[in-house]
Amino acid sequence: VNSFSSLDSDALHARVQAFLRAAIVDPARTPEGFDAIAVALARHQAAHIPAVARLARARGIDLATATRAAEVPAVPCDVFRLTRVAAHPAGDDVAVFRTSGTSQGREARGEHALRTTATYELGARLWAERLLWPDTTRLRAIVLASPLAEQPDSSLGFMLDRFATLLGGGSFHLRSGALDAAGVAAAAAAARDADEPALVLATSFALVHLLDAQSGLDLRLPRGSRVMQTGGFKGRSREVAPDELRAAVSSAFAVPGAQVIGEYGMTELSSQLYETTLAAALGKWPANEARHGVYAAPPWVRVTAVDPITLAALPDGEIGIARLVDLANVDSAVAIQTADRVRVLPGSTGNHSIELLGRAPGAPPRGCSIAVDDMLGPP
Amino acid sequence: VERAVALAARLADRDDPLGKEARRDLALTSGLSREGVELALTEHLEVAISGDDLASLLAAVDTAPRCQVILAANVGTAALRAIALALAASSEVTIRPSRRDPGLAPILARELGIAVAEVITAAPGDALHVYGTDATIAEVRAAAAPGVIVTGHGTGLGIAIVSAGVDLREAARALAADVIPFDQRGCLSPRVAVVEGDADRAAAFAAALDAALRDLGARVPRGDVDEATRAAIALYGAAIDAVGERFAGPQHVVGLDPAPRALQLPPAARVVHVVPARAIDSARLLGPWAGFVTTVGSSGPGALLDAALALAPEARPAALGKMQRPPLDGPVDRRGLGK
Repeated sequence: VNSFSSLDSDALHARVQAFLRAAIVDPARTPEGFDAIAVALARHQAAHIPAVARLARARGIDLATATRAAEVPAVPCDVFRLTRVAAHPAGDDVAVFRTSGTSQGREARGEHALRTTATYELGARLWAERLLWPDTTRLRAIVLASPLAEQPDSSLGFMLDRFATLLGGGSFHLRSGALDAAGVAAAAAAARDADEPALVLATSFALVHLLDAQSGLDLRLPRGSRVMQTGGFKGRSREVAPDELRAAVSSAFAVPGAQVIGEYGMTELSSQLYETTLAAALGKWPANEARHGVYAAPPWVRVTAVDPITLAALPDGEIGIARLVDLANVDSAVAIQTADRVRVLPGSTGNHSIELLGRAPGAPPRGCSIAVDDMLGPP
Repeated sequence: VERAVALAARLADRDDPLGKEARRDLALTSGLSREGVELALTEHLEVAISGDDLASLLAAVDTAPRCQVILAANVGTAALRAIALALAASSEVTIRPSRRDPGLAPILARELGIAVAEVITAAPGDALHVYGTDATIAEVRAAAAPGVIVTGHGTGLGIAIVSAGVDLREAARALAADVIPFDQRGCLSPRVAVVEGDADRAAAFAAALDAALRDLGARVPRGDVDEATRAAIALYGAAIDAVGERFAGPQHVVGLDPAPRALQLPPAARVVHVVPARAIDSARLLGPWAGFVTTVGSSGPGALLDAALALAPEARPAALGKMQRPPLDGPVDRRGLGK
């Protein structure tokens, strides 16, 4: 492991940001190729992050001669919990995003440390402009999540805070863990009065709490409004099937179902994937490729389904667990191995789209030995 | 209870017709290898009970006019203790074995004249013993009629402490003898070994454990491993490749994390996570797990063991090599008994 150079890191961030800006316009006209940047990032990371270097050694991969992103060893998400996955020293952290709280306490939470949020913010904004508000920025952000001050280590909280800022402020309606349903209704009424469409940004469990509390509340939103929902329930609310939740949200906010879209993201990534039904409804995405349950990756993210046992890549269309190469992960791990089951779908846009099929089932319970999921309950 | 124990002795006997039937049944349902079934029946079935243990067992349960038992797909031999506890609570016992993996429950029920039901309906005053995940127990508890005395027997894990100054190869052989039975699927099965000392000592222990599991595994092969478990092993191995060293045997994995920030729970399939620690690290590493720990095995006294037992005071202390052989003195899982 070599000594870290912030100049080298800055140069890589600049290369990645140039790629992002070009790729969002035309993925075929970027200043350099996806693979070249991915490999450069992997070399930088292996030079400064023992976990990445060890993984490459264990796989017999010589990153010095690697040329393809597919050769970069993927770091399992669990590793972010077990060790620091950051090229820079902890003293340079400007943000540390942590995985959701669990009954295991802070030390057992995965950590994604960033020395700059600039690349993260650029990627999040560019892809949101494409799939969340491709038609207008005149949207009122109604956020059903805690304000950033209450959850400074949440990557989702950071993203929602930035989106609200980009859209002119917005209102937050989850305080100290309690949902302010009346506040949501007031924000909806204000949007109606101003005839200004709204973007509801919400966690799934907050939506369930809102729906459970909405009796007598008028949540209808003006035409052009939309809802982005993300995350699972994790014991924080009753579980609701995606179709059922979408229908209920659509009805409560008076928003067409196509304009209720899901986001797929995780603390260990710097980029997000979205359902494309909203963009398709607005004529900004091929309609025949848009449906709920299918999430589009930005052009700086490649998703591969890998065999869950051999971790070898599978052909597009086969079901495996998701391996993501995210160029916005400059100082952590450019390739991430998740346990999420996906099918990668070919598309005319050149973007990788995935059908999200849920988390790989853990070992079926046999005997009374405790399972991982039983230990990682809500806090 | 004593009749149940006497019956267990017949089940353990491979020449007894009941012993033959038990071997046939467990081979079909338990997922263990033939040798694994033999090991479970001959070494891990409670075939005797002392007067003191019987007194402890009787004191561990509340008596009730009727005792109903909902069994889980538990390790094959666990039904014996579950039924013994039910018989200690009441002379009128009804059980509902797991459909997927009934283990010895059907034979025990038949031979002891215990009722078997598809649906358990407990009435006020009845004792209801529930085996399963914490979520299952919570569901049953919530659905139980007022006045039903519900006792949950949840899932858990064992932790092994390798104390300072002990012979590592000897400790590894003893721990392997705790990992192999039931293919590590018991709630007393050790999943994590905490080695008192530095990373080098933990590495030496991991290598010794790998060798011990190879030896013992050759004599008692692991049973079939389903795809989901194989996938969990693959992801665990990949994580270990990043943080430390993986010792992968033909039917086991030992994962070494030489500088643990937190513990990792490996899949229950003869996979052991090994970390170094000092007593001062115990609260950080073991503290979050304390509520799940059913037993703490150890190779001898030491500061780390003291710290671990202080964190999990209800866990059964046991010598390495004896973690899977608790006396028949009450539930294997003693968490909550003091409440």
